[in-house]
Amino acid sequence: MAAAAASFHVRSAGAVRRRAVNALMTGALWAAALSILVLLAFFVGYILYLGAPAISWHFLTAPPSEVDAGGGIGPEIFNSFYILILTLFFTTPIAMAGGIYLQEYARPGLFTSAVQFCAESLATVPSIVMGLFGLLVFVTMLHWKVTALGGALTLTLLNLPALMRVTQEALASVPDAFREGSMALGATQWQTIRRVVLPSAIAPLTTGIVLIAGRIFGETAALIFTAGVSVSTGRSAYDFGLFHQAETLSVHLWYTHSESLVPDAARVGNGSALVLLVMVLIFNLSARFIGLGLSRRFMGK
Amino acid sequence: MITMMSMPAPPDGVLPETAPKMRVENLNVYYGKLQAIKNASLRVPKNRVTALIGPSGCGKSTFVRALNRMHDLNPSVRVEGVVTLDDEDIYAPGVDPVAVRHRIGMVFQRPNPFPKSIFDNVVYGLRIHGARGRRHLMELAERSLRHAALWDEVKDRLNHSALELSGGQQQRLCIARVVAVEPEVIVMDEPASALDPIATSKIEDLIGELKKDYTVVIVTHSMQQAARISDYTAFFLMGDLIETGKTRDIFFKPTDKRTEDYITGRYG
Repeated sequence: MAAAAASFHVRSAGAVRRRAVNALMTGALWAAALSILVLLAFFVGYILYLGAPAISWHFLTAPPSEVDAGGGIGPEIFNSFYILILTLFFTTPIAMAGGIYLQEYARPGLFTSAVQFCAESLATVPSIVMGLFGLLVFVTMLHWKVTALGGALTLTLLNLPALMRVTQEALASVPDAFREGSMALGATQWQTIRRVVLPSAIAPLTTGIVLIAGRIFGETAALIFTAGVSVSTGRSAYDFGLFHQAETLSVHLWYTHSESLVPDAARVGNGSALVLLVMVLIFNLSARFIGLGLSRRFMGK
Repeated sequence: MITMMSMPAPPDGVLPETAPKMRVENLNVYYGKLQAIKNASLRVPKNRVTALIGPSGCGKSTFVRALNRMHDLNPSVRVEGVVTLDDEDIYAPGVDPVAVRHRIGMVFQRPNPFPKSIFDNVVYGLRIHGARGRRHLMELAERSLRHAALWDEVKDRLNHSALELSGGQQQRLCIARVVAVEPEVIVMDEPASALDPIATSKIEDLIGELKKDYTVVIVTHSMQQAARISDYTAFFLMGDLIETGKTRDIFFKPTDKRTEDYITGRYG
């Protein structure tokens, strides 16, 4: 065999084995990726199958029922958005300020490590524990009883570390060359952050906030004891009272399946699950599109 | 070390000597425990181009970053020594590094336009320093872009993203951005090393123009470039400033054996 001519053909046993392993691993990884897709499709499909018959205009807008069949989830949908907006209102400024401080200003040291450590510890607190903490502080200690505000503040505590981390990571994605370019023109650090770093980080920042919004929207355990399992009855579906009970959609889903007395609890639960799932999917999809659109706009493509 | 002031009268074709715009005396720079610059001293003559040459890792970039206090941004870097601008020590207590950088602008190795429009890039520094009014900013932007020989290429798309420009255009935009704030000294850290030959020659022509109004310090790894564009040259080797002088002296009659070895290509 001519040494030069045979070079493209695999001959040795070792090479054959390496190629076989390579093919096997490629296949295994592909199968793993495919299984995620299949699982999600099955999951969505099943919830759609169960929940779709329950969906109607009446179901989406009517107040829930305590005893009779035919209750809706109108106030719950409203409360979910209301508590989401309240939570973001409290969380975003604090988390962004903390993230900016840690990423842009903090120099390595005891204080920085302490803040990081606290944030990480806070991030690992199970949401039910945070719910009990909210119960102790807002419901009992402050005598607010079970309220929308208490629920939103509990969710603020729960999501503060994640949003701070999102901010840090978004800022870390901005090349130092931008900071240096700005500083070399005689800009102060704050001018650099406000005019160059934050606008450059707007896409990952927005994506991260919307994803966390989806999480807040679906949060349940932390709200059961703090925002409550009922909507203020006798009022309209749209109750802006900060100190009123405010059962969200996800809490309602838990409630109908575990404690509800209505005969059509399964129908209400399945419908709620579908609405919740669709909402969270919308958050995730819009996070992608917003991120894509913003980076196009700022990166000039 | 040869001081430039003691050099003999220049031959024909060489610009007359000027007073030093900046002086560096006994500069030491440390990255943690590693000393990157060892006791370097240099005079930077006004309205001239001073080139810093030397092999990779010799400390020339570290040196120029000490000229406008860019090292302040990195807490692990320590700078010792005296650096003056118009005989004023920029490292003296109470000196605002932001004000220093306003007077000593910097162009970096890789073009780093902000992800904003061409116009917003050029007027960035002006806005930082309080300039307002669209028409006023427009005039200043045009002047700076003309100064950086970029106006004709971008005048019809000022509101396009700067990231649409080619690498060479981006670098000229960065020069325009620095020129716009009218610093006194422009420091360039290998401004053409990421560019193709045509873009490089445009930048070199531009540097020749800029020295009419500004004092220029340029780091380059290309000896040919140093020979083409600079009036004075400083040679660095492993953190030491080996020799400084008029560019033609450094290239044709270096006094230090190590300079000669580098010029004749005996170092990588």
